[in-house]
Amino acid sequence: MPAKNRNEDKFDEMLGAALRRHCEAVPVDFTERMLEQVRELDDRRILAQVVLQKRLALSASIVFGGLAILGAVFFPARILTILKSIGAGLVGYGGGMLGKTQQAIDVFRVEWQFYTVLAVLLAFAVCCLMGLLFEDRVKVV
Amino acid sequence: MEQQDKDNWLGLLRIGDHQAFGEFIDKYKETVFLCCRRLGLRDDEVEDVAGETFMAAYKALSRYDGRCELGTWVWSIAYRKGVDHLRRNRRQRQLVVEAGQGVVEAAEAGPATAVQGRELEKLVWEAVGRLPRLWALAVVLHYREGKSLADIAKIMDNKENTIKTYLFRGRERLREMLAGPFGEDTNACQE
Repeated sequence: MPAKNRNEDKFDEMLGAALRRHCEAVPVDFTERMLEQVRELDDRRILAQVVLQKRLALSASIVFGGLAILGAVFFPARILTILKSIGAGLVGYGGGMLGKTQQAIDVFRVEWQFYTVLAVLLAFAVCCLMGLLFEDRVKVV
Repeated sequence: MEQQDKDNWLGLLRIGDHQAFGEFIDKYKETVFLCCRRLGLRDDEVEDVAGETFMAAYKALSRYDGRCELGTWVWSIAYRKGVDHLRRNRRQRQLVVEAGQGVVEAAEAGPATAVQGRELEKLVWEAVGRLPRLWALAVVLHYREGKSLADIAKIMDNKENTIKTYLFRGRERLREMLAGPFGEDTNACQE
């Protein structure tokens, strides 16, 4: 090996050795303080999750309950018709798959706006209810 | 078995186990402080940025896919946090300021004793401190941490050729500055 290369290798070796020997100063209680911050972060995260669930559940109850009351007070006949049509649709289930599908499509075609809103509200209410019942068991580390 | 232990430990880290994260901090805190100091942060800033780095790591550990070494991953977060801090404080341009021209004076002790002593270590770190920050960081990553060019490029979010230039120039500058302390010892190899 040429002398120059050997010399460079030696320089690299000495440089690496000198750099590796160094210990960087770190505050003695740094780890404990960081872990304390991590615990606080986890607590805040859990609290935020629980608060969100409660807010969703509460707003679902208010919105859905309010709509049910408004519907019963201002549009009783319409709601009755819709419920009847749903009932009729269910009864017609026995009439064969084709007839049932056609009937459901007809019912939906006539009142599709209402069913869309109803489906969204129902999904929202079910999600909130599930969250309220099952996701509340948060494991506190 | 060792690999299995490591995998278990990584698994615990990913699910946010506090004890595992404490071990993670102990393992990498020196690395993170070193990175922050090499970037030229003041002492009062170093701890804040180190804290930000570990908090960011804690939040992101669940997404760590193991494609790069954990040490490299931590270095890259620390580097990004340090640079962001400098940028926020409008000191980014200092990153590319040229090095001081000073030459580190040789220790009085002979090279054989200096190599083993802390005096040489001090001289080397002083010399590294006089390099432009990005050169210094590349030198530390390569010679101290043993990172490859590809890893350093990933950490510093730069091209491998640029890193190669940083390393070459940093090394040459160090060679000039450390001519005294290293001189006799390296000359001995030529004989």
